Amino acid sequence: MNKTVNINLAGTFFHIDEDAYLKLQRYLDAIKRSFTDSQGRSEIIADIEARIAELFNERVQNDKQVIRIKEVDEVISIMGQPEDYMVDDEIFEDEPQPSYQRKSTASRKLFRDTDNSYIGGVSSGLGHYFGIDTIWIRLAWILLIFGMGTGFLLYILLWILVPEAKTTAEKIMMTGEPVNISNIEKKIKDGFETVSGTVSDVAKNVTDSVSGAAKNVSDAAKKVDFQKQGNKMKSSSKNFFDTLAEIIMFFFKVIAKFIGIFLILVGAFALIALIIGWFSFGVADIVHIPGMDFVNIAIAGNSPVWLASLLAFFAIGIPFFFLFYLGLKILINNLKSIGNIAKFTLLGLWLFSIIGLVVIGLREASEHAFNERVIEKQELFITANDTLEIKMEENDLLRNRYRHDSFKVVNNENGVPTIFSSDIDIIVKSTTDSLATISIEKSADGRNYDKAIARAKNINFNYTLKGNTLQLNSHLSTNAKNKFSDQEIVVVLNLSEGSVVKFSNNTRRYLNHSIASNYVNHYLNVVEDGIECNDCEDDEFDIDVDIPNIKIDENGIEIKADKSSLKINDKGINAESEEVKVKIDSDGINIKSDN
Amino acid sequence: MKIENTKAQMRKGVLEFCILSVLKDEDAYVAEILGTLKDAKLLVVEGTIYPLLTRLKNAGLLNYRWEESTSGPPRKYYGLTETGKLFLKELNTTWSELQNAVNLVTNQKKQH
Repeated sequence: MNKTVNINLAGTFFHIDEDAYLKLQRYLDAIKRSFTDSQGRSEIIADIEARIAELFNERVQNDKQVIRIKEVDEVISIMGQPEDYMVDDEIFEDEPQPSYQRKSTASRKLFRDTDNSYIGGVSSGLGHYFGIDTIWIRLAWILLIFGMGTGFLLYILLWILVPEAKTTAEKIMMTGEPVNISNIEKKIKDGFETVSGTVSDVAKNVTDSVSGAAKNVSDAAKKVDFQKQGNKMKSSSKNFFDTLAEIIMFFFKVIAKFIGIFLILVGAFALIALIIGWFSFGVADIVHIPGMDFVNIAIAGNSPVWLASLLAFFAIGIPFFFLFYLGLKILINNLKSIGNIAKFTLLGLWLFSIIGLVVIGLREASEHAFNERVIEKQELFITANDTLEIKMEENDLLRNRYRHDSFKVVNNENGVPTIFSSDIDIIVKSTTDSLATISIEKSADGRNYDKAIARAKNINFNYTLKGNTLQLNSHLSTNAKNKFSDQEIVVVLNLSEGSVVKFSNNTRRYLNHSIASNYVNHYLNVVEDGIECNDCEDDEFDIDVDIPNIKIDENGIEIKADKSSLKINDKGINAESEEVKVKIDSDGINIKSDN
Repeated sequence: MKIENTKAQMRKGVLEFCILSVLKDEDAYVAEILGTLKDAKLLVVEGTIYPLLTRLKNAGLLNYRWEESTSGPPRKYYGLTETGKLFLKELNTTWSELQNAVNLVTNQKKQH
């Protein structure tokens, strides 16, 4: 009894035995593979199917007759083997060479041969590749494993990287034979034979063990047993390593997923932060939130802030976007590609942003190419030999409003945005001249000399002299139009030798260059090479450390641990531990030990 | 070098010429063409003809039409195009030249 299949061959209906059907299908598939699309494959196949239908029709007397494997064999022998369909293309030189011609000369490729494997099929794959017997490769592995275990690592690496020969075509490529129909057929037949071989082996084995009579038969059985043992071992070792490989792959996948999640989080957070940042920035630029003028003013080159921030947004955001995308791709295997157009647009936009930022940066830098100064020198009419007191006068606009900021943008009395900066230096120079002078050096950056000079001139800085008190503005100011371009004031006081000067406390931070901070609030004598202090103490004790277990202050050093301590102070040194105590003081050295 | 390959090549070389010649006078469907060629023992297996027919059709030497048949599905009737006719004429000349040449050479050898 046979199962039958109904088929429609070129529009005609046939009953066909299942095995005959499978054979016919294999045959048609093999023919299909011998043509390329450029040769008009579908049309050829349709013609062939039509002819086969015709041939079947000739062999079928009535509708109820079934096509058996015999009919299929007959038809195949009439139609010819798949090779017979191949046309020698050298005859037709105007036709492009079909690809199978190239493949026939293709060299062998490295695959893992899992059919003949003990572990991952790497060795037999290499054996095929180099054309040597696999046993030598396996021996080499064993030697390599004893040599520092490099073989082990290399094997794992190859196992991961080298693909497994899955399809018949790959298996043929592995051995270096040309991929053509007859080879594929042969390979498939071989496969059948090994299967049927093992089946018959098993059958033989069973019958042999049952009968066990004739000696030569049992010998054969032994042989088979031995072979089977080998196969068994092979398969069990393969199973073990397959499971191991699966476990390892699982862990790799888990790690990969974690990396993916990490990338997504990083990318997403960066993008969100950027978008929020950019929005507040952009909105601020349009709505003019007072504090945000700061940025506008800082950009001296007049480049629009929104453009710079947009460029920065793209320059930073696009790489993060790709990071995010990469994370998604790792996490979701069959993620739809965003498409090459999108990718290249983003890449182009990124490059453009980078270039734009560089241009803006260069413009900004060129704004600082020249640093010029204007000097205003005036006499200070002070009573000779009387003490000159110097104070800083805080601008009303800044007072109470901010803590002492070095840089601020505030609307002045007339409502004009104004930059205030405390970039002021006070320098004292001694002169033999009896007349004291003050010179105010204003300096600023600019793209060229004129611009720099103009900006320097636009700096407002005033002082007042009341009696013997010189009051200096605590901040220089300039119209915000002038932008922040490193405006700086240096106040040079030329005082005659022998006069006395006193800096009040609030000048401390302006005296970076010339006067030590402990001179502040003391009467200072102007002498030939600078200033001298008569009643200044030495520098105050500056260090004051007080963290748990460590204390450093004017009293000394104290370090404590669980069971030991160290004290250094006026009295001497005292070191204690669980077992020994050392004391150095006015009495001498004293060492005590518990033991 | 296998004798089968050389034989097959010789046959395949003239096969196109023969297909065109079969269609010289009247259109025919594949089974008819096959019958003629098989009777002449030019074809051993039928499969060879299909790619050739498609190739000739794609080259514009042949065209085909569908014709209803009394015993089964419609049949593909092949016929020569004008180009095909010219092509065949030229092949005919070449063939007779070749025939002469081959005859000459092979007969000469026999005389030795």
